[in-house]
Amino acid sequence: MEVTFRIWRQDNPTNKGGFINYVVDDLAEDMSFLEALDHLNEILVLRNEKVVAFEYDCREGICGQCGIFINGRAHGPHSNITTCQLYMRSFKDGAIITVEPWRAKSFPILKDLIVDRSAFDRIIEHGGYISAKTGTAPEANAILIGKGVSDKAMDAAACIGCGACVATCKNSSAALFTAAKINHLNSLPQGKPEAHQRVLDMTTQMEKEGFGHCSFTGACEVECPEGISIANIAEMNARYFKAKIFG
Amino acid sequence: MNLFFRRSIIAGTGLFLCIFMIVHLSANCILLLPEEIARGMYNAYSTTLRENPIIKIVAYLLYLSILLHVIYAILVTFRNRSAKPDKYAINKTEDNSSWASQNMGLLGILLLLFLIVHLANFWARIKLGMGASVGLDAAGNVDVYEVTSSLFHNGFYVLFYSLLMIPLGFHLNHGLKSAFKTLGFYHRKGLKVLARVSVIYASILSVGFGIIPLIVYFK
Ligand code: HEM
Ligand code: FES
Repeated sequence: MEVTFRIWRQDNPTNKGGFINYVVDDLAEDMSFLEALDHLNEILVLRNEKVVAFEYDCREGICGQCGIFINGRAHGPHSNITTCQLYMRSFKDGAIITVEPWRAKSFPILKDLIVDRSAFDRIIEHGGYISAKTGTAPEANAILIGKGVSDKAMDAAACIGCGACVATCKNSSAALFTAAKINHLNSLPQGKPEAHQRVLDMTTQMEKEGFGHCSFTGACEVECPEGISIANIAEMNARYFKAKIFG
Repeated sequence: MNLFFRRSIIAGTGLFLCIFMIVHLSANCILLLPEEIARGMYNAYSTTLRENPIIKIVAYLLYLSILLHVIYAILVTFRNRSAKPDKYAINKTEDNSSWASQNMGLLGILLLLFLIVHLANFWARIKLGMGASVGLDAAGNVDVYEVTSSLFHNGFYVLFYSLLMIPLGFHLNHGLKSAFKTLGFYHRKGLKVLARVSVIYASILSVGFGIIPLIVYFK
């Protein structure tokens, strides 16, 4: 199949970027989107042109590196997947595919399709962990956790930090990411001792990083590869108010 | 003055306005009765309200709510815009979210426009005594009914009042459920019920307020 990639090219964070069209004509429908970009880059190497910079690691939907805005959607036309799980069969032969980096003030563009998501790391640094003694692993049954609680914590813990929530949000709100990290730990007994401080610190950092407010458009939960529910944000809000009052 | 504070002000004032709107619509239903009954009842009701000290406090709360709602909506929108300085060349928001949720600001501006005209039509004339003076009815009450009914016999105002209830419906449908989530209501099944309640609430208010001017016009 043949497609035209209309790709955002930008040399460095300060340069002004722009779109460049690349026609690629020998793609297979079963190639993943990232493989199609690899193929384009091989062509660019042979032509002695600069390759398109994009991020990836696992290529199996678990690391969250491959964030790309494709044809107006985070991670392309399907809901709840990563870019590495997107296949060329999702596009028509002859399609023009617009490929952009995540756009948010807090995610500055480093090069082409790669953005700096370290704002997420700094939110995690402000409480996205538990204080525990290191050493041998404790006996698994020492702390009993009900199935309902553990399922809910696991659902929130599934967040891979890809940044699609921020990318798709009209306000570049990091509420879904931050809520997932907070609810994951705060709903478990291990997270309880630092629960209030965690909410206050992580949300304060979220604000400092320049993310916008949550308007509950719901776009984030549709684009989230892990399908993390927006109810998590409401729950974070409840935890925040609780921490403010009792914390 | 953080993200949570700003959003809570919008949500809290929004919910207060939502409750007010129910009372307001119920009272306006009096306008649908035959004129002889409606005039006396509507004027008596509005006189009772104006003279009740508790209602006076509620009225000031209402002005304050509207003011805070608008001010914080502006503050929130400014920060949101600055958090997303560069827009996507293509952005299919319709695939992942409702139109109303993406355009609360635009809907709000339409409501503000409505509110300015609405307050000029009623509040300025009745409370501030601006414009043509308002007479008394047979019982000696200020004839608010006359103000309403003459306004709704003007085709332009009927259209203005009825059409602008459409953006109201959209603003309220997203606003009601969003406000609850902003204030921390996160029960999963409850949220599903809430979404349905929001549609019903917004439909009743928008159709209710929108149809009354038309009925009065054609009565
Ligand atoms: C007077 C003009 C108005 C303006 C300029 C305005 C503006 C806004 C804006 C911009 C938002 C959304 C903020 C966001 O998406 O982050 C909002 C939310 C809301 N508005 Fe309004 N609005 C107005 C009137 C009203 C009225 C008359 C009501 C109710 C009767 C109302 C109820 C609400 C509610 C319940 C919310 C949701 C709060 C939340 O999401 O937490 N608004 N308004
Ligand atoms: S490359 Fe790891 S999730 Fe796509």
